[in-house]
Amino acid sequence: MATATPQHEPYMGSPADDLAFERISTGELVFQAVYSALVTVMLLEIGVIVFRVLEPLVHHAPALFGSGATIDETFTRTIGNALMTLAPFLAYAVAGHKMKPLASVNRARALGAALAAAAIVFVLVTMGQYVFRIGPFAERPSLEMTLRQTDAGILVEEVVSGGTADRAGIRPGDRITAIRRVEVTLAELNTAVRQSKVGDVIRLRVERGDEEEQFPVEVAATMEIRPAALVAGLVIALLFAAVAVFWPGGWTPYALLIAIMLPLAVGYLWLIIATFSFRTEGLLPVNAQGEVGGLTLRNWEFLWREATGSNPSIWRVTLNTLVIATAMMAIVLLVSSMAGYALSRMNFPGRRTFLSLTLILHGFPAVTLLIAIFFVLRNIGNIPVLGDYFGFNTRGGIALVMVAFELPLGVWLMKGFFDGIPWDIERSALIDGASRWRTFYEILLPQIRPGLLALGIFAFISGWGAYLIPQTYSIGTKTATLAVYINQLTSDTAPVNWNEIAAVGLFQMLPVFLLFIFAQEYLLNIYAGGTKGSS
Amino acid sequence: MRIALEHLTKKFGHVVGVEDVSLDIRDGEFVAFLGPSGCGKTTTLLMVAGIYRPTAGIIRFGDRVMNQVAPKDRNIGMVFQSYALYPHMTVFGNIAYPLKLKKVPKQEQIARVQAVADKMGIGDLLDRRPGQLSGGQQQRVALGRALVKQPDVLLFDEPLSNLDARLRLVMRAEIKHLQKELGITSIYVTHDQVEAMTMADRIAVIQNGRLQAFDTPDDLYDRPKTLFIAGFVGNPPMNFVDVEIEQANGAYYAVSPALRVEVPPDRGAAAAAHGGRVVMGIRPEDITIDPTGAVRGRVFVVEPLGRDDLLDVELDAHTRLHVLADPKLKVGAGDPVLLKLDTQKVQFFDAATERSLLWQ
Ligand SMILES: Nc1ncnc2c1ncn2[C@@H]1O[C@H](COP(=O)(O)OP(=O)(O)O)[C@@H](O)[C@H]1O
Ligand SMILES: [Mg+2]
Repeated sequence: MATATPQHEPYMGSPADDLAFERISTGELVFQAVYSALVTVMLLEIGVIVFRVLEPLVHHAPALFGSGATIDETFTRTIGNALMTLAPFLAYAVAGHKMKPLASVNRARALGAALAAAAIVFVLVTMGQYVFRIGPFAERPSLEMTLRQTDAGILVEEVVSGGTADRAGIRPGDRITAIRRVEVTLAELNTAVRQSKVGDVIRLRVERGDEEEQFPVEVAATMEIRPAALVAGLVIALLFAAVAVFWPGGWTPYALLIAIMLPLAVGYLWLIIATFSFRTEGLLPVNAQGEVGGLTLRNWEFLWREATGSNPSIWRVTLNTLVIATAMMAIVLLVSSMAGYALSRMNFPGRRTFLSLTLILHGFPAVTLLIAIFFVLRNIGNIPVLGDYFGFNTRGGIALVMVAFELPLGVWLMKGFFDGIPWDIERSALIDGASRWRTFYEILLPQIRPGLLALGIFAFISGWGAYLIPQTYSIGTKTATLAVYINQLTSDTAPVNWNEIAAVGLFQMLPVFLLFIFAQEYLLNIYAGGTKGSS
Repeated sequence: MRIALEHLTKKFGHVVGVEDVSLDIRDGEFVAFLGPSGCGKTTTLLMVAGIYRPTAGIIRFGDRVMNQVAPKDRNIGMVFQSYALYPHMTVFGNIAYPLKLKKVPKQEQIARVQAVADKMGIGDLLDRRPGQLSGGQQQRVALGRALVKQPDVLLFDEPLSNLDARLRLVMRAEIKHLQKELGITSIYVTHDQVEAMTMADRIAVIQNGRLQAFDTPDDLYDRPKTLFIAGFVGNPPMNFVDVEIEQANGAYYAVSPALRVEVPPDRGAAAAAHGGRVVMGIRPEDITIDPTGAVRGRVFVVEPLGRDDLLDVELDAHTRLHVLADPKLKVGAGDPVLLKLDTQKVQFFDAATERSLLWQ
């Protein structure tokens, strides 16, 4: 065996990549780390901006969303925080991912490099977090003293000298018993502090010896550095980098989808939990004492509550809503499909003008027309017979106005769908012996079924969630819809039970939710219609 | 069913679709409308079908004026280029639709659809949907749907354009066979002259919305009445050379700076009678490369067509001739060649009016 047979190295991955990463220089490593850090800072910046934008929304949420869609501030804040906390991890993942090609050559080395890069990124990120006062360095509302729960109240163990408690005159050894006159436990006090804003004043009732006195303490912002959080952060950073090195590429889309969907899913979860809870602390239901527990059906009481003077029964309201939504769906479908056909297939004077006018009308904010429509409805109300069904303060009148607002979209949508059907099919039907009318409903309508379904669902949902029009054009509760009902829950003089509002909101959402589950196939298929071979 | 179009005109606003078309189609005849894209073939067909209303002129089926008759009352069957099948119906539903509209009893519908489908070779596809069929199968369904109601008139609008070349050949033969067997008066629109030449009894050549000629394929090919038809019918197209006719010793010669060839005395005489410059037409297949040839040229381009090579031969700066040559000769670009012109089928046209000097 003297002839030399060429020996081939076993093939390991893409050679070009391997060579490029065979020896990774320190410079390269530093570059990657700095690069990742820059990305992180950018992401953080975005996070901060998002948070800043969300913050006012949170505080004015009840005013902005009126009734149905009120969001508890803790929730939005949680999302904002989550965004900022998660952003650095993306950078760790990127740092790890950069070493992936190296992993196919030398696993240990790749892992080492990734960990090193992640560590550098971590240091940079931590420095950034310190500068921006976020993450582990976030400033929290605090009274700047150490407390301990005892039988005789909350014992002040230590007071930060020069801190806000110190300035207010609280000394170690004092016992806090109440806020104003409401007795509190340490847990409740902590919750109160956490939920107040910097600059708020909490009036603490304090026992000192035998004396009892009230101290107004201003809530200060304190940076509590928690070493545990820093260590945990580093461990997670390294973990992320390590996972990223060996991450199977095929999982990425799923991971991204899950990451994007998670806040949404958490939102719904939170909504559902809230409806069965006395109160919630984040996602946890808590009772009056602030302890985990307190599950209750109290919020769902509206389902069996009898109608009282100003509060209609939910079932009557649901019926109203159903009638309006169904009527809307039926009328919108009928009128839009016929108008859309005419606009797509027939040539008549004023066709283009009509098309542009409907488009303008579609862009018109409904609010600006409220007063004019009020007069129209009142005049309709003066017509004998007809006025009783379609005038002011009737379900018919409300449906009519909402249909009018929905039609421009519907007509345009339907026109588009008809435009997509080849002329030849229609001609063929006419030649086969069908009348024009028959061609319309036997040949053309079946072909735009996905469009009809989509429009029908849109119309139904917009009727189901209607608020502005029913609220404006009805007096009392005769024609109240679910959204109006929710609004009434907030406008009572009694304190608002947000969890009950969440429950009614969930109740209102259920049919829509079911509708989507069953119709999503059609909604997704909207663009898959048409005929093969047609040109 | 005899069909007569009299001065048929269709305008879309200012756009002229069809202008002043008059022709008579005999009962059972297969007529092709041939013309380039956009010349008004479809427009004419749709007027016959009753989809478009003529701007002017009359359409007669037999003796009956059809202008105001709705499409559904004309008893026609039509096959579209796009097949135009109803995508939400099965094949059975598609073919049965005309019968359903005629309120034919259900049992009879089933029998007739089955019969037509078997004839079209799609008898086992009846419960499929159009989307599940190949292009050729879809076209058969469309044909079946047009035939099932036993129409008086069959209209085809480029039915084979979307099929591949092989299938087109098969369908061409099938349609022609069917038409002859059933004897239904048919109008077949196409821009493919091979299709028109092979299938039709007579061909109506349309250009820019006007009828240029209405003749049998042979007449169009051998006795073209205008320069346009001579150039349009036949592939590769006829060569045209500006010549003068000289008469010497009882023989006639077509003479140009690039060539001088003898032409048959009868044709030469007709051209000479016109006098002055005329356009001579000669088809590529009537020219051969021959060492004894009298016309000298140089090969400019060679396009291999498979069975033949199509040569573009330059005679002088102003004259080029297309020549079909045997690939075995292996002529290449730049080679000098001698050409022999078989002038038995040579054509002569008036250069100004573009009308034939031989056929009226
Ligand atoms: N519905 C229409 N509206 C306006 N112009 C049309 C219409 N249909 C056809 N035309 C015009 O008429 C001419 C002939 O068209 P057509 O009959 O479709 O040609 P083809 O011979 O290719 O079938 C074209 O110039 C076309 O643009
Ligand atoms: Mg056409």
